Amino acid sequence: MNRVFLAALRCEWLKRRRSLGAWLVIAGAFFTPAIIVLVRLVRRAGLPQLYADPQFWTLHWRNAWESMAIFFMPMAAILATSLVVQIETRNNAWKQVHALPLHTATIFFAKFAVILLMLAQFLLLFVFGVWLSAVLPALLPGGVAVPPAPPLRQFFADTALYYLDCLPIVAAQYLLSLRFNHFVAPIGMGFLAWVAALSALSWEHANLVPYAYTMLDFLRDNPEARRAVVSSGMHGLALGWFLLLTAAGYVVFATKAQKG
Amino acid sequence: MLCLETSNLCHRYSAAEAVLHDIALAVPQASIYGFLGPNGAGKTTTLRLLLGLMRKQRGSISIFGRNLDTHRVEILRQVGSLIESPSLYEHLTAAENLALLQRIHRVPAARIAEVLERVGLGGARDKRAGAFSLGMKQRLGIAAALLHRPALLILDEPTNGLDPNGIIEIRALLTALNREEGTTILVSSHLLAEVERLASHVGIVHRGRLLFQGTLEALRRERHGAARVALHTADDSHALRVLADAGIAAHGSEHGLLLPPMPPPHIAALNRRLVEQGVEVYAIGAEGGDLESIFMNLIGSRAA
Repeated sequence: MNRVFLAALRCEWLKRRRSLGAWLVIAGAFFTPAIIVLVRLVRRAGLPQLYADPQFWTLHWRNAWESMAIFFMPMAAILATSLVVQIETRNNAWKQVHALPLHTATIFFAKFAVILLMLAQFLLLFVFGVWLSAVLPALLPGGVAVPPAPPLRQFFADTALYYLDCLPIVAAQYLLSLRFNHFVAPIGMGFLAWVAALSALSWEHANLVPYAYTMLDFLRDNPEARRAVVSSGMHGLALGWFLLLTAAGYVVFATKAQKG
Repeated sequence: MLCLETSNLCHRYSAAEAVLHDIALAVPQASIYGFLGPNGAGKTTTLRLLLGLMRKQRGSISIFGRNLDTHRVEILRQVGSLIESPSLYEHLTAAENLALLQRIHRVPAARIAEVLERVGLGGARDKRAGAFSLGMKQRLGIAAALLHRPALLILDEPTNGLDPNGIIEIRALLTALNREEGTTILVSSHLLAEVERLASHVGIVHRGRLLFQGTLEALRRERHGAARVALHTADDSHALRVLADAGIAAHGSEHGLLLPPMPPPHIAALNRRLVEQGVEVYAIGAEGGDLESIFMNLIGSRAA
């Protein structure tokens, strides 16, 4: 990583300070864990049985990822990407960005890297929140033992794969946000694409839909899924979509006739 | 020696709408170049092309003797700019807005306080830009353009939104930068008086065409050529006959009778003659010499 790119990255990272996107990452990451804590506090009578289960961490992890993989993670990717790009549009700042002594690729990838870092931050906070949501109900009402150390290696391995699954959504949203100035357009299209992916889950070619991978990843081993989902080779396909959509986004960005 | 030079610069937004025709700017090194023209004349389009903010369609741009197409990044390292409204991140403070640029330009952090002080925002460094007045935003935009001590400043109507005192301060700041640091300044404006007080060189653009380019002194000569003597009388037709007898070409207008420019003693003699011939003279004054008149004069002379 050269010095210019690092400087551009630090500059982009500072821009997200106090922004809506930055708050969304924190609030979104802790939302599901907070709900889990709340539900367990309300249904505290069932805690001893739950915490005594030898499969406690597996059940807890799966429980936490259900809403995350299906809804919150795609939504976070859609919203955070659009909001980060929107910082420039809303502040009429693209013209200043393009008048800086930076190559087009540096501008494009520095901002993209910040979005990817924010997504990583979102997932790390979520993992921390999942651990916290297991520990807090045991500590607050008492009566149950604090669970043993979680299988962190497994957690991080799963999280890394979910991160990979989400990359096509980020790349697609980045492309749309760079293409359309008004933030409603990329968010609206992203939401429609998510609904379409949700509808396509039981389709035989669902593993070709770029917005579907986090959902497929969660559902593939789920015995409660109504029918088997087609998830073969999805991580490779996710990576392929990510690279393709990133390249398309760069072409859109670099060939804009009006820069700001 | 020229700091900035364009040739045959043309631009059109659509097949039917050409906004620039063969613009050939020549901005001398260490000058303050006033780029003058009414709203919609093509000033901002030209400045955006100079910064690479629009895809160039025809012509060439050379800054610091280098072609913008092939040396854009190297050139922009030495250019500070403020195009249209300032680009500020409203959720960040004034100091944070400059810190973004400080990282890119790799200037010492102390420079942030220095430029804020210089534009009169020393006391507002920790205030969010979103809470700034229009004038304060404009000052912060200028501070951002100055941060890395650029050799060339490109400012698009930099005094927009400033109160009269602010305008004087910014003008003094730009003059000092030019004098003390040798910064070349290309500043656009639609106000002739503004440019006259600041610029050493002037380019006048109208409907996408560069009608005049030269020193301020040369513009003043053009301005003199555009000036007329305006005569208000009780009986214009009688006055026209008297003037015709005296060999003076005059014509009526909404401003009264317009006469070619003449030295003051001739005006006094003419007044005497009119009065002697029984024409009641209400007022004699100067007409023209404003931007519009210069435009009309320039357009007329180019058409001739």
